[in-house]
Amino acid sequence: MLDPHPDLTSGVIYGLGWLYLLLFLLNVGWTRRSYRQDGHLHLPDLFGGTEFPAATLWATYSVVLLMLALAHLTGFSTPEGFLIRMPVFARQMIDSVLADARFFFLLSVVLFALMIIWRRWLLKPTVAWCLFNLAVLFMTLSLTDYDFRQIVGKPDNVPIVGMLYIVGFFTWLYFSRAVENDDRIAKGLPKVEEENNEKVLVWPDLVYTELICMVVLTVVLVGWGIALQAPLEEPASSVKTPNPSKAPWYFLGLQEMLVYFDPWLAGVVFPSVILVGLMAIPYIDFNPKGNGYYTFNERKFAIITFMFGFLPLWIGMIILGTFLRGPNWNIFGIYEYWDVHKLELLNNVNLSEWFWLSMLNTGMPMPGPEDSGLVQTGKILLRESPGLILVLVYLIALPPLMAVTIFRKFFFRLGFLRYMVFSNLVLMMAALPIKMVLRWTVNLKYLVAIPEWFFNI
Amino acid sequence: MAAKKLTTEEILARARAQVGSGSGSTPSADDTSSAPEPAADSPAAESEAAEPAASPSEGTPAAAGKKTPASTADILAMARAQKKGGAAAKPAAASAEKPAASAKPAGAGKTPTSTSDILARARAQAKGGAAPAAAKPAAAAAKPAAKKPAAAGAAGERPTVAEMVKAVRSDAPAPAAKPAGPVTPPLPSRRPPVVQKKEPQQSRRGFLRSTVGLLASPFAAAWILFSGATMAATLGLARYMMPNVLVEPPTTFKIGPPGDYPPGVVSTKWKAQFGIWVVQTVYEGENIIYALSTVCTHLGCTPNWLEGEQKFKCPCHGSGFYINGINFEGPAPRPLERYGIRLAEDGMLEVNKSVKFQQELGQWEDAASFVSVV
Repeated sequence: MLDPHPDLTSGVIYGLGWLYLLLFLLNVGWTRRSYRQDGHLHLPDLFGGTEFPAATLWATYSVVLLMLALAHLTGFSTPEGFLIRMPVFARQMIDSVLADARFFFLLSVVLFALMIIWRRWLLKPTVAWCLFNLAVLFMTLSLTDYDFRQIVGKPDNVPIVGMLYIVGFFTWLYFSRAVENDDRIAKGLPKVEEENNEKVLVWPDLVYTELICMVVLTVVLVGWGIALQAPLEEPASSVKTPNPSKAPWYFLGLQEMLVYFDPWLAGVVFPSVILVGLMAIPYIDFNPKGNGYYTFNERKFAIITFMFGFLPLWIGMIILGTFLRGPNWNIFGIYEYWDVHKLELLNNVNLSEWFWLSMLNTGMPMPGPEDSGLVQTGKILLRESPGLILVLVYLIALPPLMAVTIFRKFFFRLGFLRYMVFSNLVLMMAALPIKMVLRWTVNLKYLVAIPEWFFNI
Repeated sequence: MAAKKLTTEEILARARAQVGSGSGSTPSADDTSSAPEPAADSPAAESEAAEPAASPSEGTPAAAGKKTPASTADILAMARAQKKGGAAAKPAAASAEKPAASAKPAGAGKTPTSTSDILARARAQAKGGAAPAAAKPAAAAAKPAAKKPAAAGAAGERPTVAEMVKAVRSDAPAPAAKPAGPVTPPLPSRRPPVVQKKEPQQSRRGFLRSTVGLLASPFAAAWILFSGATMAATLGLARYMMPNVLVEPPTTFKIGPPGDYPPGVVSTKWKAQFGIWVVQTVYEGENIIYALSTVCTHLGCTPNWLEGEQKFKCPCHGSGFYINGINFEGPAPRPLERYGIRLAEDGMLEVNKSVKFQQELGQWEDAASFVSVV
């Protein structure tokens, strides 16, 4: 019987063979580097205590890759019997973690924290190379899954996969520069950027680099344009919405915010706050260090705050929106079939409903049509008072509270006005993960829900 | 200008000009002069033409061919010259001779006339004069003086090469010591300054005439045309905003008898055409038919009716609505809206999309928002 959704096809196996071959060649180069630089490893005395070059391990690994490549390149004619594929239990395990937004977010935050704590260790070339290999192997193995290929191979999404690798590389690059400078500062040596900065090499160094970049970019764009078809769909109709209906990848973070907030908040206020907040950074920042050179230790708070906003909140939301959101905007695992009828119970409750109905067991004070305008307003405000008080406390009482506790130093350095701007920006930023977590954990819909005035928080 | 150190590119350009100058470019020598103007910026193409012109003026008296080559550069230059053939040999050899030539006047103490001369001499002194191995830069340095004329030659009114040579000879007694530099040829005659005519007293007629003249000038005409065209385009755009035909579905339309809509069923047959769902269900203890808007109350996408789950589900942000339109999941803050509906006189249901009824405002109580079914 012919499977309409085969995990493996001849074309996939053949393509993966070339991918393994490429990875093999890269690792041959790495083996050569390792042989020259990595030195020797000691076997424990139990096994004889002999010494051998560390490159032996890489050579073995490379040989395994070559055999994988050959197996793929020769065995592609019988895809049904081909054994090298992602094991089912691994797929289920990964799906069960990723398909739950709480775990996904927790994972991204934990990875973010580990990245900062272990930055020194992650920067070692061998570790970085291992991570790169793992990332590529995860990709090649995952590509043996039909549903994963459907998501990743969509012309819309291919560049996002590339972007993830690029984000990883540049984060690594930043840390490698920053840690080197931090070490130099600790030893009292000049920073990397301060050495040899007497002259800037323009010709041919810079100009050739630019030329090469230009040529490579053009080649990539042309190749992209030829290889991937434009994701065109049926003619637009105002009553037919594609399911799932996804924004362009760079707006998926916004789209994800819209799931948790009212449109005017997630679509207008927050983007404006993000833009204005980024513009305000130079005026808020009182730390003169880190200008013109990479560093981490000298401005930990600024860098961690920015990176948290960028990596788990922005890139993480793009990943969530691209690879995990499926039909009806439900969350699916990366190997899960996009079932339109997947049932996800999301009976969300507003804070006011929970407060009046569940906690006090009384009716909600609803404005009646016969009430006068003033009475209606009073009733609405009373109904939403728990949420309103909470929001006001969050935005008005927390800044002074933080000023005398965790942000003491900031308050003295910034002065009242600048501190207020700063603390409100931080609170606004924190509002997103807080609201997301509340939605995922206790199904909270809105803290303040006043649909009568189009005002929901 | 020549006041900078020579860049690699310039030196290369000159070297190429030196090599490339063959017999073919000799005729152009007649047109050129050796006015001592700084002209280091001239492209290689110009210097190719200039090179042979400069060479005879300096090299001919020096009996270039006889001299033993002193440095690698000299040998190379000579070899190249030999390869090119008889006609080329002379200028090339002459140019190889230049370091020596250009080095000399620096010692002779002749007053330099321009910045480029001073620089050329300084360089010649520093490099060519001290070590013959550095002959090439010096030769190149001597050249700026000879280069510009190729460009200027077209202007005419300049001394010919013969005149130049003559002037050079009469100026300096030592025949070998001649970079083209210090020679000061007569400046081209300048255009006499425009004498401002005295403005005549403005008369009324003169004023009118000048106004008409201003309006008729090509500049004014162009501006008038441009403004006119812009205005026409704007008007055209304004007209474009009001289409001749506006295809909009009628806001009031019949959707058939109530019997077409059995209880508990969401009819999606008018979704594409009119953007409504017609539903018969029990709402607040009453069996009614109503028309729901297909616009999600969150951000305006079109939800889908999922029969199996008995809910409307929006594909954009996951809002969910019960069959009666009440929101219960996702971010939608309020229920779907109802349109006006009534039982027309002919027994058909008639939907009126020009009015809408919102539950959160208590408008679903309005009798115009549903039709009761017995």
